[in-house]
Amino acid sequence: MALLDEDTLGALLHELGDSYPIPSSGEADTLRRAQRGAEERRVVPEQITFDLGPGAGPGAGTVRRVIRAHPRLVVAASLVVVLALAGAGVLWTNTSTPPRVTAGSAVAGRAPAHSPATPSRAGNQSEHSATKGIASPSSAGAAQGPAFSASNPDLARTPTAAAPTTAAPNPSNLPNGTIGQPARIEQTGSLDLTVPSGALSSTMTKLVDLADAYGGFVANMDTQSGSLTGSTPSGSVTLQIPVASFTSALNSARSLGKVSQLTTRATDVTGQYVDLQSRITALEASRQQYLTIMAKATSIGDVLAVQSDLDGIETQIEQLQGQLNVLSGETAYSTLTATVSEAGAAHRHHHRTPVATTSGWTKAWRDSLHGFAVGAEGLIRAAGPALFALLCLVALVFGGRLSWRRLQRRNL
Amino acid sequence: MEQQLEEWLAEGYAVSFRTACLILGNQADAEEAVQDAFLRAWRFRDSLTSVPSIKPWLYRVVVNSCYSKLRREIPHRDRRTGDEALRDVASVDGDPATVAQRSEVAQTVLEALHRLPVSLRVPIVLRYYADLSERDIALAIGRRQGTVKSRLHEARRRLADDPSIATLAFDAASDDSEEA
Repeated sequence: MALLDEDTLGALLHELGDSYPIPSSGEADTLRRAQRGAEERRVVPEQITFDLGPGAGPGAGTVRRVIRAHPRLVVAASLVVVLALAGAGVLWTNTSTPPRVTAGSAVAGRAPAHSPATPSRAGNQSEHSATKGIASPSSAGAAQGPAFSASNPDLARTPTAAAPTTAAPNPSNLPNGTIGQPARIEQTGSLDLTVPSGALSSTMTKLVDLADAYGGFVANMDTQSGSLTGSTPSGSVTLQIPVASFTSALNSARSLGKVSQLTTRATDVTGQYVDLQSRITALEASRQQYLTIMAKATSIGDVLAVQSDLDGIETQIEQLQGQLNVLSGETAYSTLTATVSEAGAAHRHHHRTPVATTSGWTKAWRDSLHGFAVGAEGLIRAAGPALFALLCLVALVFGGRLSWRRLQRRNL
Repeated sequence: MEQQLEEWLAEGYAVSFRTACLILGNQADAEEAVQDAFLRAWRFRDSLTSVPSIKPWLYRVVVNSCYSKLRREIPHRDRRTGDEALRDVASVDGDPATVAQRSEVAQTVLEALHRLPVSLRVPIVLRYYADLSERDIALAIGRRQGTVKSRLHEARRRLADDPSIATLAFDAASDDSEEA
């Protein structure tokens, strides 16, 4: 393979190159113009150069060069990014705000062993009205649900002996509050549902069916048609759901309408439970001793005295046992209160007041403001995806252009 | 460093300009490219502290300016403007015979040079006109030294295969032997 001699090639190129005359402007002029031009062009980049910091890494130089080379483009891109982030933030806020979800947990109990064993319900925020409540048809059956006693509100919620104590929460899923004892958690939840107009009745029925589906029962149900008061139809239902199915039931209930408020609360009553158990055990031991003493009593006076004490102990045992049963019921069944209202309630309330109290001008002004807010909301809602798409497009164009230039430079 | 760059720009203007002429084939484009290169060099003089050698760095700036010209402006223009350079070459010397001969040589070499792709033309101009080493060329064009070596080899092979250059080389070798 023939190659051109290096010296010959050098001579030819030198001859050709040296034959080009140096421009009359010369190096001094070029240098002066370069210096002047550089100083003039430096003004703009310095205004928009971001401080990338001393440890900005190897890419910092490239970023600075890009910023200096395309200041307007960088400003436009920054603007787009900021707008896209703002749009995304607004969207995120809009989607996350309406259902106000609060969850709380309280630890009750852990009471000292000799504290008064009152059936307190620490942290229980839901209203129970079992005395006035109606049981669902299925819960009335002995095999399915617990029986109610209308005379005693506490015992009304107490399952009978046939009630499944295995309905208690799965110990493996709950923290152990006391050594050797599964944690006793009392769970309550309430949610406000907004349903389309005319769907109140069907939603209430579905909520009642939920109780059946999860092995629970309806503790209370209240419906207002609103025809007499002129208000919007609404209703509330209180469900007793086995603790293990509480979350599933809550999720199912949430899907029945638009959730405007959701509150859940879990209260640890293990301490109270253990306290009651130990007190009952101690009283039973005393009872046994009294029985032994009574068996050895020889006189009627002794028998009567022992019998009197024995009666007092047995009464205490029964009371404590009742409280224990109440607590068992509360920890075996969670309370879910759902308030259902038809859509347009807030809207109607919102508009009814101004109509009655304000003039037409004020109403028009309020409507105008409302329309503006709705329009702005829609615009922002639409701007988020649009800006995101624009951002992707800009990134794509930038990337493509950069790749294209690199490819071209490599091919040169 | 600023003073050093200023001195180097002043001294290296002629060779930078002629290198750009050989790469671009046009004096006006070369003048603009060098002007742009000097502007860039002066603007980014702060980065000179991080470069090992100023000469390949400056050539890199000049070559990049030429690349920009080739990529952005020259493809959209009439290629025949390159002939302008040869008219200038012809006007350098007053002797008509010498002028004609030099013009013919310049025309032939320039045409052969511009038949090479830019990727081969740039290394060969930098090597045999600007007298850069292969290492400096690698720095100037941002490629590995092995790539430079292979490109130089390929360019010389193509030029040797070019009949017009081969004739010139033969004539030059004959003149040398006669003089000897």
